[in-house]
Amino acid sequence: MKYAKVYAEDVNVGDALPDLVKEPIRQIQLTRYAGASGDFNPIHQDDEFAKAAGMGGVFGHGMLTMGFVAQSVTDWAGAGRVRKIGVRFQGLVRLKDVITCKGRVLSKSSKDGTHLVDVELWAENQKGEKVVTGKATVSLPSRES
Amino acid sequence: MPIQINTSVKGKEYAPYTVTVERGRIKDFARAIGDLNPFYLDDSVGAASEFGDVIAPPTFPITFKDDTADTGTMLKDLGVDIGRILHGEQEFELHRAITPGETLLCRPKITDIYEKSGKSGPMAFVVRETAVTDAKNELVATLRGVTVVRL
Repeated sequence: MKYAKVYAEDVNVGDALPDLVKEPIRQIQLTRYAGASGDFNPIHQDDEFAKAAGMGGVFGHGMLTMGFVAQSVTDWAGAGRVRKIGVRFQGLVRLKDVITCKGRVLSKSSKDGTHLVDVELWAENQKGEKVVTGKATVSLPSRES
Repeated sequence: MPIQINTSVKGKEYAPYTVTVERGRIKDFARAIGDLNPFYLDDSVGAASEFGDVIAPPTFPITFKDDTADTGTMLKDLGVDIGRILHGEQEFELHRAITPGETLLCRPKITDIYEKSGKSGPMAFVVRETAVTDAKNELVATLRGVTVVRL
C-alpha cells in the first residue's frame, strides 16, 4: 500500500523496494522542472542548442531523475525519513524514455533509539540501461517507541 | 584543443546568502517531479503530521540558489560555457525536515577541482559543497555536487 508506515522491525537486508515506474519523459516536464528548480540550462529545453553543444539533442535534468529516485525511497519509507541520499549520473535521459527506479536494503543498524537503514538505489531506462546509481540512508520508526 | 579552466577557483567560498522556503515552491517542485505525496502537497495532512506542516522533498534544497553564487557565477569563475557541463554526482545530507516559511543560510564553497580523461575525452570535475543552517545556526542540510566540464 502506498504511503503505508514502515517500521524498522519489518525491514530485512536484501529486501527489494517497490519499483517506481514513471511516466514517459516529455518536454513539458523538463520545462516544469526548470521552473520549479531554477535550472534553466537551455540544454534541457532547446534542441538546437543541445545539438550544437554536441549532446545530440535535449536530455533531462539529472536532478529530475534524482527526484524520481528519491520518490522511490519516500514512497516506501515515508516522507521526511531520508537522512542522506547520494547519486551518480551514469547516462542521459531522453524524451520518451520510461524511467523505473529500483532499490534494495543493504544494511540496518540501531543506536540510541535511532533505527537507520541503508539502501542501494538505481534508475534504469526502458532498455534496462542504468542512468542513475546511488545510496540512501533512512531513519525508520520502531514498533516499540 | 581542450579548453583551459581556471583551477584557482578551488577553495573559493562564496558570500553566504539566505533563502526563504516557500509553500508554493515546495508544491511546484513535487508536482514537477510527479511526486504527489500528500506530505508535500496537502496542508491538512502536513498540519496533522509530526512535522506540523507540509515538508520539502529530499532533493528540494537544490532550489536554494542565489544570483551571487549560482551555477552561472561558478561557470564564469571557471571560464566555462554552460553547454559544456554535465551533472556528475549529487548528494544531500538532511538533518531534519524543511518546512515552509523558514529562512535558511546557505554557504557554498568549491572544495575540489580535478581533471581526468574519460572515454569521451578530457574532463574536469568541480566539487561544490553548500552548508545550509537555520536561525539557531544549526545544520539543516549539506549539499555536495560534482559538475563535469567537457574540456
